[in-house]
Amino acid sequence: MGAVDLGGGDGRRGGGKGGPKKPKRVGFVLDMTPLVDIAFLLLTFFMFATTMAQPTMMEMKIPPNIEDDVPVEFDKLVAIYVDDEDNLFYSKGLDTTFTPLKVEDVQNFSVKENAKMENELVLTLKLHPEASYSRLVGVLDELNKAETILTERYQVEKDMERKRKFSIQRLDSTAQYRLEQI
Amino acid sequence: MAIHKPKRTGFKLDMTPLVDIAFLLLTFFMFTTKFKSDAESEQKFEIKRPVTTADTVKLPEVGTALVKIAIDEGDTNYYYSVTNEVDREDIYNKAELPDSLREYALIPVRRDTTLLRRLVTATRFSDVERLHASEDTSLFQETIFAIDADRDLDFNVIEELMDAMRGAGATKFNFITVDQQSEA
Repeated sequence: MGAVDLGGGDGRRGGGKGGPKKPKRVGFVLDMTPLVDIAFLLLTFFMFATTMAQPTMMEMKIPPNIEDDVPVEFDKLVAIYVDDEDNLFYSKGLDTTFTPLKVEDVQNFSVKENAKMENELVLTLKLHPEASYSRLVGVLDELNKAETILTERYQVEKDMERKRKFSIQRLDSTAQYRLEQI
Repeated sequence: MAIHKPKRTGFKLDMTPLVDIAFLLLTFFMFTTKFKSDAESEQKFEIKRPVTTADTVKLPEVGTALVKIAIDEGDTNYYYSVTNEVDREDIYNKAELPDSLREYALIPVRRDTTLLRRLVTATRFSDVERLHASEDTSLFQETIFAIDADRDLDFNVIEELMDAMRGAGATKFNFITVDQQSEA
């Protein structure tokens, strides 16, 4: 299989005269089978393993109008602030002490705060106009991770549906957007 | 006495496996290749998308309306495009797009939020017409609005856009991000 027949079986040449028989130089024979085997193996592996780089998306929902203010009880309010240098802080209710927060801790923070008030907690993300978009998405990403944990926990432990109360707004704005993740 | 040189046999190589692989690769790339759309080939800027880890879905290739926010020519600009090429003309008519912008698939809106609102409204209006025209409404898919913004942008630009989109009635939209793994 794969070998090449080069012909010229008996090696007798030169008009049948006597003399020592020299070994015939045989052409270069290369068995391609193993190469092809490996090539196929690699090819199939990469065909199955490859996912083309594709952008993903994060879904957001905002209510159609902001005229209707939703009354919120202060003790159920937790705000996360992002300043112009992308630093994070949080404050609870009417308390104006800002406690620094790390992005990596946002997930745990959200889970912890939500555990205290089932479906009642209103989380607000307040961003300085010069805060970066990447920080906004980064915080949202952490909150989404927390949401996955919460949804699961609510279902398993309490058999109830998770309802998220969340809003994004400018640091100086009084307008209230409510954003919901689906 | 004459010395006989053994006759040199020619170099022979079986080309069959090579051709096999070549064809296989050819068909593979033929099926997987996606050509750049009009809008993509008009795009002269690069967007560095923000990186995420969780809860994301793949961006559908059809039925989306993209608002790109790019940092180009030393300025921050909005660009609008719809991936559904069939409805493009219709949307442009509905938005009363000026003739100078009609040739674009990726419309340079610049910072004109009024124009952006008109485009978003036109897209939604076209959606409604499509819904009424369709025989099987269960197959109908609403246009998905997506914001494709550079990660280095300031929040106020995003907010301005969110405001404009909400004003036009697009209250559900997506942030386009890139997976941490594919970024690495």
